Amino acid sequence: MKTHGGTSLTPGRQSGDKTASGSPRSRAGKKVAGGQNREPDPATGTPGKKDQPLTVVIPESPSDDPVQKGSAGRPFWSGTITIGLVNVPVRLHTMVRDRSFSFRLLHREDGQPLRYDRVCTKDGRVVPWAETVKGYEVQKGRYVVFEPDELKAVMPESDRKIRIGKFVYYLSLDPTFFETPYILVPDRSEEAYSLLVTALSELGRAAVGTITLRTKEYPVVVHVYQGALVLTTLRHADEVTSPRAFEQLGTLPVPKDSELALAKRIINELSGDFSIADYPDRYQQAVMELVKKKIAGEKIVTEEQPHPEEAKELMQALQETIATLART
Amino acid sequence: MMPDSVRDKKKPSLGDLTRVRFTNLDKVMYPGVSVTKQEVITYYIRMAPRILPFLHNRPLTLHRYPNGVEGESFYEKDAPAGTPDYVGIYIHPDKNVDREIRYVMCNNLDTLIWLANLAALELHTTLSTSESYDSPDFLLFDIDPEPPLTFDDVIDVSLILREHLENAGIRSFAKTSGKKGLHVVVPLSGGHRFEDIRAFAHTMGKTIARDSPPVVAEFAHSRDPGTIFIDYLQNARGKTMAAPYSLRATPGATVSAPVSWDALRHGIRPEDFNIRTMLSGSEDPWRDIFDTRQTIRR
Repeated sequence: MKTHGGTSLTPGRQSGDKTASGSPRSRAGKKVAGGQNREPDPATGTPGKKDQPLTVVIPESPSDDPVQKGSAGRPFWSGTITIGLVNVPVRLHTMVRDRSFSFRLLHREDGQPLRYDRVCTKDGRVVPWAETVKGYEVQKGRYVVFEPDELKAVMPESDRKIRIGKFVYYLSLDPTFFETPYILVPDRSEEAYSLLVTALSELGRAAVGTITLRTKEYPVVVHVYQGALVLTTLRHADEVTSPRAFEQLGTLPVPKDSELALAKRIINELSGDFSIADYPDRYQQAVMELVKKKIAGEKIVTEEQPHPEEAKELMQALQETIATLART
Repeated sequence: MMPDSVRDKKKPSLGDLTRVRFTNLDKVMYPGVSVTKQEVITYYIRMAPRILPFLHNRPLTLHRYPNGVEGESFYEKDAPAGTPDYVGIYIHPDKNVDREIRYVMCNNLDTLIWLANLAALELHTTLSTSESYDSPDFLLFDIDPEPPLTFDDVIDVSLILREHLENAGIRSFAKTSGKKGLHVVVPLSGGHRFEDIRAFAHTMGKTIARDSPPVVAEFAHSRDPGTIFIDYLQNARGKTMAAPYSLRATPGATVSAPVSWDALRHGIRPEDFNIRTMLSGSEDPWRDIFDTRQTIRR
């Protein structure tokens, strides 16, 4: 952690409604709509008055080490893996964190954060929560209305069980359906956990079943990863588009032998070991760098991508000049 | 052969050709003739083979116009913050400000492009190089008219000056200042002292002033109406001249352009040499200058 004395920063209020859409937590049903999220937002920092120096804490950017420990944190689910009559008690920890940051929308004039309100599309008035109800759009402008009780009745009940139906070879699983991985940690009985890890590992199998997280039931696979059980939620079949939907892909020409040989040679030449560290998130890094500079009071010079026409002229001039200079 | 999609070569991008990161390319630098910074940068890139030899190892004074020639400008001797590492630096103590100055030297194409991107429209060089800072390798006569006299009168005086120099066995080279005047440059061999060549230039000015009434050789008369001043005072350590092929901050985006004595005899106009008319492929009137090293005796 680094602490900087801020100067030209906006003393905004603590972030209220960080919209972490797409994060595993929100997908798992975490309530975000009410604006009651208590997580401090590192981008706006602690609340402060305008004339007070503002202390801003910036989290260190994640290390480049892809196998870093990370913080274990609290489990967000605990229950049992149920295989027939055998139960393995486990706690579920998040494994991936959404490192992407969100900007807060501010009022340019006074730098204060803006709030989203529920506004009626007909009369433009703000509608209190108590006066809202959920609707499902069945055709443009027509909704089927649900009362909370009606939905609750059909929600799957979370019985704190990861129900395993069968075992499959892990490598036979189609990664297209993999959604979000969670780390399973033994809860009380380490023996049962260890037994399952060892058995799956030696057989090269993974367990397939279901889990209910909050309001949704997911197909899951439990497999061994770096000596631990990892549960990965799977997408439902109808959430994935098959390539067969594209007719063109069914009528591809057969490549010529010579071309195929050349293509294979190129692929072989470019073959190597995969390392995720080769692909850093440059945008995220660049923005965090800018944030640090802004806090340090540095003037930000915007680099730009020249317009294609400008770039073309510059490149032509450069190529000619570099050639001329090389001759002399 | 491979299908095109597989064979498709990666096109070179700007980043493959230069380390400079461009900013505000479409900012207008010369509103009168609608010249943008991109055109300024392109000019310096195209002119690089000509101008780089005159910048090599010479501490620069930059005249920067961040908001174009009609905006505020400033001279800069110290390398600005954020100077990239491909830029050469010459550190030299400056008595006037009682500290060391970190001069920029333009020894490669990227530095020249970087300078253009900084809107350093005018590049001014010392008359000596960093290798022998106290010893000039160029002698400069700076000939400027006071109205109602014009550039044509400057040409007449320059031709007289040239004749005097030729009679002394000295070859000289002329360039427009890009403004009203003309620079006559004499390339020197090593070992000269600034005070000696300054005295030589002053004496030459006085000789011409004696025979040609509109010419004045003293600074005190340099602003008298209807005179032409042969300025010898720039021949001093740390003083500068606009580099040959440097743009000038004039409404017409003129260039300090080397010209042949023949062209001067036929008559030229300084404004004809500007960012749009200078062609790097044309004959170089100064092509022999680095092979011409001359000794001047008092």
